[in-house]
Amino acid sequence: MKIGKVDLISLEIINNALRSVADEMFISLMKSAYSTNIKERHDHSSAVIDVRGRLVVQAEKSLAIHLGSMTGLIDSILDQYAIDEIKPGDMFVANDPYCAGGSHLPDVNLALPVFVAGELICFVCNIAHHADIGGMVPGSMAGGMSEIYQEGLRIPVVRLFSKGELVGDILKLLLLNARVPEERRGDYYAQISSCRLGARRVEEIVERFGRNQVVVSFDEIMKRTRSRVDNAIASLPAGTHVFEDVMDDDGLGTENIVIKLTLTIDPAAPRLMFDFTGTHSQVLGNINTTMNATRASVLYAVKALLDPDAPNNQGLIDAVEIFVPSGTLLNAEFPAAVAARANTCQRIVDVVIGGFVDVLPECVVGGANGANTTTVIAGVDPDTKRQYVYFETLGGGFGGRATKDGKDGVQVHITNTSNLPIEAIETEYPLIVERYEFAEDSGGQGRHRGGLGLRRVIKPVAHSAIFSGFGERFFNAPWGIFGGDEGRPGRFTLVSATGTSKRLISKPSGIVIAAGEAIVIETAGGGGYGPASERSPESIADDLESGKYTRG
Amino acid sequence: MWNVGVDVGGTFTDFFAVNAKTGMSVSFKRPSTPETPATAIINGLAELATERGVPQEAINRLCHGTTVATNTLIQRKGAAVALLTTDGFKDLIEIGRQVRPRIYDLQADFPRPVVDRKNRIEVKERVSASGEIMVDLTSEEIDRVAALLEVSSVTACAIGFLFSFKNTDHEKRLAAELRARFPRIPFSVSSEVHPEFREYERISTTVLNAYLQPVMNSYLGELERQVRERIGPIEVNISQSSGGLMSLDRARRFPIRTALSGPAAGIVGATRMARKSGIPDVITLDMGGTSADVALVRNYQFDLAYDRSIEGFPIRLPAIDINAVGAGGGSIAWFDRDGLLKVGPESAGAHPGPACYGLGGIAATVTDANLVLGRLSSHGLLNGAMTLDIQNARRAIEPIAVKLKLSLEAAALGMLNIVCANMVRAVRSVSVERGHDPREFALLPFGGAGPLHAADIAKALGIRKVIVPHAPGILCAAGLIYSDLTEGLVKTAPIKVSASTFADILNLTRSVLEDADKWYESEDVKTEMRRTKIVFDMRCVGQNFEIPVDIQDLETFTADRLRQDFMREHERAYGFANLEEQIEIVNFRVTTRVETNFVEPLVPIAEGPHAPDPIDERLVWFSDAGPSTTKIYDRDTLKPCAIIAGPAIISQFDSTTIVHPGDAANVDMALNIIIEVAS
Repeated sequence: MKIGKVDLISLEIINNALRSVADEMFISLMKSAYSTNIKERHDHSSAVIDVRGRLVVQAEKSLAIHLGSMTGLIDSILDQYAIDEIKPGDMFVANDPYCAGGSHLPDVNLALPVFVAGELICFVCNIAHHADIGGMVPGSMAGGMSEIYQEGLRIPVVRLFSKGELVGDILKLLLLNARVPEERRGDYYAQISSCRLGARRVEEIVERFGRNQVVVSFDEIMKRTRSRVDNAIASLPAGTHVFEDVMDDDGLGTENIVIKLTLTIDPAAPRLMFDFTGTHSQVLGNINTTMNATRASVLYAVKALLDPDAPNNQGLIDAVEIFVPSGTLLNAEFPAAVAARANTCQRIVDVVIGGFVDVLPECVVGGANGANTTTVIAGVDPDTKRQYVYFETLGGGFGGRATKDGKDGVQVHITNTSNLPIEAIETEYPLIVERYEFAEDSGGQGRHRGGLGLRRVIKPVAHSAIFSGFGERFFNAPWGIFGGDEGRPGRFTLVSATGTSKRLISKPSGIVIAAGEAIVIETAGGGGYGPASERSPESIADDLESGKYTRG
Repeated sequence: MWNVGVDVGGTFTDFFAVNAKTGMSVSFKRPSTPETPATAIINGLAELATERGVPQEAINRLCHGTTVATNTLIQRKGAAVALLTTDGFKDLIEIGRQVRPRIYDLQADFPRPVVDRKNRIEVKERVSASGEIMVDLTSEEIDRVAALLEVSSVTACAIGFLFSFKNTDHEKRLAAELRARFPRIPFSVSSEVHPEFREYERISTTVLNAYLQPVMNSYLGELERQVRERIGPIEVNISQSSGGLMSLDRARRFPIRTALSGPAAGIVGATRMARKSGIPDVITLDMGGTSADVALVRNYQFDLAYDRSIEGFPIRLPAIDINAVGAGGGSIAWFDRDGLLKVGPESAGAHPGPACYGLGGIAATVTDANLVLGRLSSHGLLNGAMTLDIQNARRAIEPIAVKLKLSLEAAALGMLNIVCANMVRAVRSVSVERGHDPREFALLPFGGAGPLHAADIAKALGIRKVIVPHAPGILCAAGLIYSDLTEGLVKTAPIKVSASTFADILNLTRSVLEDADKWYESEDVKTEMRRTKIVFDMRCVGQNFEIPVDIQDLETFTADRLRQDFMREHERAYGFANLEEQIEIVNFRVTTRVETNFVEPLVPIAEGPHAPDPIDERLVWFSDAGPSTTKIYDRDTLKPCAIIAGPAIISQFDSTTIVHPGDAANVDMALNIIIEVAS
């Protein structure tokens, strides 16, 4: 097959059209999915991947944590099938982190090979977080699970469609193993129709520009991103940097879990190597990550530090080398539990940023609320007698920055999901939110201080309820940089009707909140940037005048 | 009797006047006076009288589109604001939705709220989700709050309590007390500004309203004074973000309603043009110097959105559903870090503007590319008032051509193709999001640059028909005249839909309709001119976002019918509907509208199909194979039934229309140009 060349203008136009394919797949999935998670929190992604399993383009609004999971699926397909075994009309489904390139079970991947004139041109794929994938608890995400089997249905790479026909037996199996199967069916169909839309759009592009132009563009797009990232690496100073941070615990007895990074920068090569040797071995609790999730987190941080506008494609992925010894927290081996990987991913980002502190002092930020602090309150509504489960994750302080303070009370790094309105919580659940505010004094002081953590005070109305929480950065504070102070850790506190407080552990489960009692959730403030002694008098005055700080 | 539309933009203030009896119309532009926008308006009205045959005493209605509120927000030059809010929630306005604007950008934040934390006063009071008073607002508490307000140095004040849409008592009582004690401070109250569910959006909208009130008060007050002094007590209406007009008095109370009104009147004008040409489904493309606004019009109706924002602040008030793309005449071509050629979103703006303006700009812009290709004339814009320097344009594009190893013209064509691809992407995603295929629409370009690029964009989208309105550059001013006086009323009261709740649903609807009648009375509207529309925002129980459902006829309406209507809309929006699902109404909305009778502008008598005479010809590049000799026509002399075969350029005062080789243009009875685009 003759490989032609593509001129720069056509390349940009094809590039634009391919981005449009991924974006339209994303929108279509969002519009037609059933889960609130997908429709409203946008916990989904879409991409075009070439026949060698390389990511060509990802939808602009895709989740950072999904970068790599979709290529993981294509890699698994290409491992298991020869190219001539992949037929027009096939569609593949998978979710397993250990045998199908996934990162946790609720994220279900679909891939559709796109054929033009009988030739496989690329794959279009999407990933959607299903609200339930079976397993021990509704939602398939709660703590306390210690192996993957407890977390839900494991789907290896299988065909959901074969030569255009739905493999009904597989769909039956998938649906039987999830709670609320009608909802799951809706989500699967949304994923299927999104893939089909993507395939149709790729066909149109091939028709307009010709097969060669399009395929050459795939290579060019990745090559150009690679050289863009390589150039950024080549501009860094050579050196080796070691950074480590400690996670509080896994909820099942392992405490002070170290993540250690040795970062080697060789601008001449150019080479950027992330070696996580020295990281804690994998743990029983569900905070382990597989390589795909670890890689997505490292790449998030690299992109944020070096080039936030770099396209998400294989060029970016390949520009970075990552080594994690297997059997460790960040490269867990079967059958480690992984459902709550997001907390660990957050911390990987903090650690990578920590590794770059002396390399990119203008870009790095203080340690952030590197957590995904989760609150679950369950009970029976005293009026309706119906069971309810309230679930939410709370943001915290962002780290201090070279030119400004860290943002107060915000989702940090790899997470960016909205809060629920107070008026929605109180309308839907028998709960009263008494306060929702900044945790004053919680940001680490500095030339530029860390952002404040958040505090939310919730009370059940006229009944007792059960609280479970998933906290991180409750014992290991977000660190400051260049002499900045550390942020104040978060905590869960139970306050009795008479006002006495009882501090809870970081991963409490099954705590009874009696009528009249309140649960107080506080998240960590970010670490400061530069010594507090260098803080400008105006900023100090503003801290005090605004009441965000009560001391100097 | 003349109706005058005045649209104030950053560079020009546009005028469009129609004689309500004869249909005679006049339009022109004057430079804006950004420091005192009213000056350009008053001078323009004087010019209408002295030079355009519209005596001031013959003007009976002035419709005004203003960007004063928008600019005040962008430049953050509003009032010093206080916020009085429920105890425990003073940070809510700053936390917002706890998200960051760009996930990969560690330096990017949403802007600081316009109300400083020290000026946020927590008030001991609480209303529950069901509207019951849990903590009473005492008179001691009101005194305490008043004392705090007394010592602050604010010039405007917002009041926003939790669940005030359920029970307005606390907000109303506090506002009444404080208004009496602080007559010089304007108070914006959340249950008046935006009585809807979701506290952050409601309170944010209210705070922004307070922030704008002093500025808009003085601007509109000054405008009214001058208009009265020179013309007399005529009706002055102000354009809202939703595309309707409101009285001057309401605009002073609710200035936030004008914040997104800039592009709205243009869509109203475009919709009007589509109707006159008998084409019900159009995608409008308003392309100016820095950006292009895209909107979908189906069956002569544009959609409203309730989730738009400005400068990072959400405004949950009805606004025309418009998507902006960073693509305009001033968009700059540049090479990204990966060597790919990009055009926009950076723009040269009006100063220094494109290189060819000769105002010191050196960056290559879309306008420079159009000039190099002969698509724009070097005699320039605005009837020669502004000449364009082709040598400057060539110099600006040269480095790009060298880097691309292409001829100057091929590079310029490449720039136009890329800017077109950007717009195509935006139009596609807007249509897909709304569940439509763009090929089923006609494209209606306006703004100075829209008609230059429309045919390229239509081709790339598979659209076959382009409608270039009669006066693309002043469509906003014209749209103001075609806009109706409207008001949006809403009650939030989540209520599940069933036979047993149906009586409550009817009662709630009637109570909003009573508010509508009060509004009609307050605006002195005769019964036969009243047009009322009812919309319920509905969702399945457990969902977080609502779908609007039109209620056609309250008389024949039943719970079953409502359920069916909702399911149909759900299917359209999301591609499926689960008929078993329990559903609820969240908002009861009523839109009031005053039917305006106006006379269409006069159109010259049609003379049957004919080929008009060109005024000139020049070489124009349509492909890199070489230029084509292209006839130039003067839009002002074109009459209905004129037929022009491409390649051709139709030039007018404020816009240039391109007819590509193989395409055909004809002028219809409304003087709009319809271009049939070849596939």
